[in-house]
Amino acid sequence: MKSHPINMFFLGKGGVGKSTLSALSALYLAEKGNRVYLVSMDPAHNQADIFQKKISQKPLKVDNNLLISEINLNELVKNYLKQVEDNINNAYRYLTAFNLEQYTTIIKYSPGIEEYALLLGFNDIVSQFTANYFIFDMPPTALAVKFFNLPSLSMLWLEKLMQLRHEIIKKRQIITKVKFGKKETETDKVLQQLTTQKEFYNRIQNTFQNENTTFVNIVVNPDELSYSESQDIISSLRNINVKPKDIIINKFIKSEHIEKSDARFAHLPIQYFTQMNYPLIGIDTLKRCLHENYDHFSFL
Amino acid sequence: MEYRDKKNAYNKIINFIKDKWELLDQSLRTQAVDVIEWEYEELQHIFGLLVLGSFIGLPAPPMQITLDLMPAMEKELLLMLEKVDTAAGPLSELFSLLKIG
Repeated sequence: MKSHPINMFFLGKGGVGKSTLSALSALYLAEKGNRVYLVSMDPAHNQADIFQKKISQKPLKVDNNLLISEINLNELVKNYLKQVEDNINNAYRYLTAFNLEQYTTIIKYSPGIEEYALLLGFNDIVSQFTANYFIFDMPPTALAVKFFNLPSLSMLWLEKLMQLRHEIIKKRQIITKVKFGKKETETDKVLQQLTTQKEFYNRIQNTFQNENTTFVNIVVNPDELSYSESQDIISSLRNINVKPKDIIINKFIKSEHIEKSDARFAHLPIQYFTQMNYPLIGIDTLKRCLHENYDHFSFL
Repeated sequence: MEYRDKKNAYNKIINFIKDKWELLDQSLRTQAVDVIEWEYEELQHIFGLLVLGSFIGLPAPPMQITLDLMPAMEKELLLMLEKVDTAAGPLSELFSLLKIG
């Protein structure tokens, strides 16, 4: 049993079987005696259909050692924006003469918050719960890639802003020293906030880049569109120094797919899963499928 | 002149010189940092523009960086609002800083 919790992500094009494979992997690892927490981060929330259970943000025990919950993206975005709006309204209560309320109204419609909300959801789960494996059934490519990119993109901005802030503080200190003969020791609230944000992203980025605790599996179907989208995912992840662990070719039928896949995903371990001839719905069916294909999951 | 009167007159002269000296010192110190102060305010404008650029259509950091910084940025916001008044005449602002004309 692993001592450090493992964060396992399943990524891929919409409809390739991320949810089914993450459900089967969760069951496999739970049967091996690990405490497993499966989290659906996909707004489509297929886990509820797969397990035939009503799944919410609250963890639900569906089997021995296996908890499931889903991240409610809209709720997370709403809560975060509400919190921001409250903070801003508190800080600027005395500035209403400058029509600052209009900024806070705009905040409600802020785009590009979804990936941050996902990041907050991820952070909440890994810091609040104990498990040997956290398995994340990720949303389709665009949002999933933004989620992984967000820490490094934010760090780039934060580093530049901190550099500028240090320059501002240096100038302020010169001014107060020359004008009043003493150095200003007041702490800069903005720099404090920038430092806090940088620490948060740094921690998450280190988690993503740690190959011993973060396993990113790319689920692919043996067709051109899926191959090419998966290669885009791999190159996006490489740009931020996140190395995919396994390529899972799902629903493969013909042996010629093996050659094609080998050529496309050289240097990465590839796992093959055949198309099942029955729908994988309900925990009993999932277990049946798992036991029929038990050896295929040994890569986990 | 009695000793006490002499002392008072002497103190008056000392205080007068002290006041003038402080005034001169203050004015020289203010003049010395005039340009740095201008630079300091402009740096704050740049910081404000970078962080809050999305509100006026400029490229901006990921939204949550802005949103989390906003409660701590009242000074930058005020400076940006003040800047609106002088934004139309950047040359006149520069001339006044350099005391030309």
